[in-house]
Amino acid sequence: MMQKSGLGQKINRVWAIFLLVFLVAPALVALPVSLTPKRFLSMPTDTLSLRHFEKLFTSPEWISSFVQSATIALTSAAFATILGTLCAIGLWRISSRAGEVVRAFLLLPLVIPPIISAMAFYRLFVPLGLIDSYLGLMLAHTVLAAPLVLITVSASLAGFDPRLEQASRNLGASSMTTLLRVILPSIRPGVLAGAVFAFIASWDEIVVTLFLSKFNVYTLPRRMWNGIRENTDPTVAAAAVVLIGITIIAFLIWALVQRRARTQNS
Amino acid sequence: MTQPSAQTHQGSAPYEGLRLNGLTKRFGRFTAVDGVDLHIRRGEFLTLLGPSGSGKTTLLMMIAGFQDISAGDIALDGHSITTVPAEKRNFGMVFQGYALFPHMSVRDNIAYPLSVRKRPHAEITARVDEMLELVQLTKFDTRLPGQLSGGQQQRVALARALCFAPPVLLLDEPLGALDKKLRIEVQAQLKAIHQRVGTTFIYVTHDQEEALSMSDRVVIMQNGRIEQLGTPQELYQRPATQFAASFLGKSNFLHCSDGLYALRPEKIDICPATQTAGAPLGPHRTTAVVHSVTYFGSILSYTVALPDGTTLQVDVDAWRGGPTLDRGAQVTLDWPDEAAVKLAPDTP
Repeated sequence: MMQKSGLGQKINRVWAIFLLVFLVAPALVALPVSLTPKRFLSMPTDTLSLRHFEKLFTSPEWISSFVQSATIALTSAAFATILGTLCAIGLWRISSRAGEVVRAFLLLPLVIPPIISAMAFYRLFVPLGLIDSYLGLMLAHTVLAAPLVLITVSASLAGFDPRLEQASRNLGASSMTTLLRVILPSIRPGVLAGAVFAFIASWDEIVVTLFLSKFNVYTLPRRMWNGIRENTDPTVAAAAVVLIGITIIAFLIWALVQRRARTQNS
Repeated sequence: MTQPSAQTHQGSAPYEGLRLNGLTKRFGRFTAVDGVDLHIRRGEFLTLLGPSGSGKTTLLMMIAGFQDISAGDIALDGHSITTVPAEKRNFGMVFQGYALFPHMSVRDNIAYPLSVRKRPHAEITARVDEMLELVQLTKFDTRLPGQLSGGQQQRVALARALCFAPPVLLLDEPLGALDKKLRIEVQAQLKAIHQRVGTTFIYVTHDQEEALSMSDRVVIMQNGRIEQLGTPQELYQRPATQFAASFLGKSNFLHCSDGLYALRPEKIDICPATQTAGAPLGPHRTTAVVHSVTYFGSILSYTVALPDGTTLQVDVDAWRGGPTLDRGAQVTLDWPDEAAVKLAPDTP
């Protein structure tokens, strides 16, 4: 049906664009700032410069932080994906009230303010000697990211016919074979989406990282945080642009996966 | 309540086949299956027939190993399999809705039970080809299940379940999703396949026509118990209870001094009152008035009222049964003694 009121439609569209700008503009400010020729955070006036990108990609500190963040994010995303997926399948199989209580517990890291999680990890990790270690941060990020995987995989499992699992077992397949050959292929979009979310969650995590790292571990968000606090270095803006770029790429991958899954289903 | 013939064995070893002893399933305080004793002979086509909630599907799921058993025992050829997990029972199953793996081709679906058993590649290919031919789907082997019609999917499910030559095939309302015309066609195919492969078929349905037309024996279930067990003829001609008589086919019920009798509508003779003026009085001869007439093509179904107000259904062959009687016509009814079957009181 055609909309009769052209004016109402126009107002709607303007409003939508305004909202979009409101949401996205703050993030996009980083783009012009990263191109400033000056030595401090500022908008470029007459000339543009790539010097801060140059510094970002040549400075050993920034490169090290980049590699550290990527290592931690990839590892914790992998851990979180395995744990979250197995957990979602387990809860789906049990499907009892007790299981739902367990699920609520597992989702707590999403609900609890990050600062509380940070304190809890700190208290736990000091006696374990995990402060300022890669392993400590990977474990913490895994705990924070696993619920995201649990949610996306559970959503996929909600549309999975439990009779397929019964059929597989009836045809002689062990639980492991059933998992690998029937369940996982069917819920793959949810697993991949969860992995992407887990990666992003770890990639830009700052609160817990600040508590758990000192000298050894220096992730990208932490270096940006320090860069702003200590010397308003525009390299931070360049790093932000790179981060935004990587996040957009991750989301594009996710969107493509979703689209492929949808065309496969239809 | 069961027929004598159902309890005798047909020669061979006494424990051959599948034996259920006091099989019981409780969900909390609700008893879904209540002490079922049943011997399913090797190679027979046995149907579990009952309304929804009668426990037939739960019983099948217990045989398949998907439902824990609250009490009782299942034995195959004399060996208890009660504690054997579903994947080790080697029973084929055709699920309601077929449960085909959507991401696998028809060929991979059928090959699945062999490939999880790690059979050699050549053997799998040969066997799958054989199964594809059995269900006449050779040309569709590379399709995905989503690209097949309901009837074709049903055949893939059948081929997949039979591929590893299971001793027992369980079928859970496999024709439920098909339209009526296709259902009758598939019934004939199923029966032919049963005769070709010789596997024991245990078939769950709520459709009495399916039960009658395909089965060697039928188990009528109600409230988790076996109401009656017998061949389709036995069940139809000699129903044991009111429930059995009304669930399988149509029946009139006559309250007599010594109990309740079932009388099938087609076993009552009906003719205009005027024609029988000189005929001898039969044992059950009675007069009645035609209340309504319904035409079903092959049969005419009359509802007639007896003088005492009770109504009976009388079915007549529409072609051989003489001229149609009008509403309000005076008629004479009669039936032979053996047409009325004495029923046991219903179990609560």
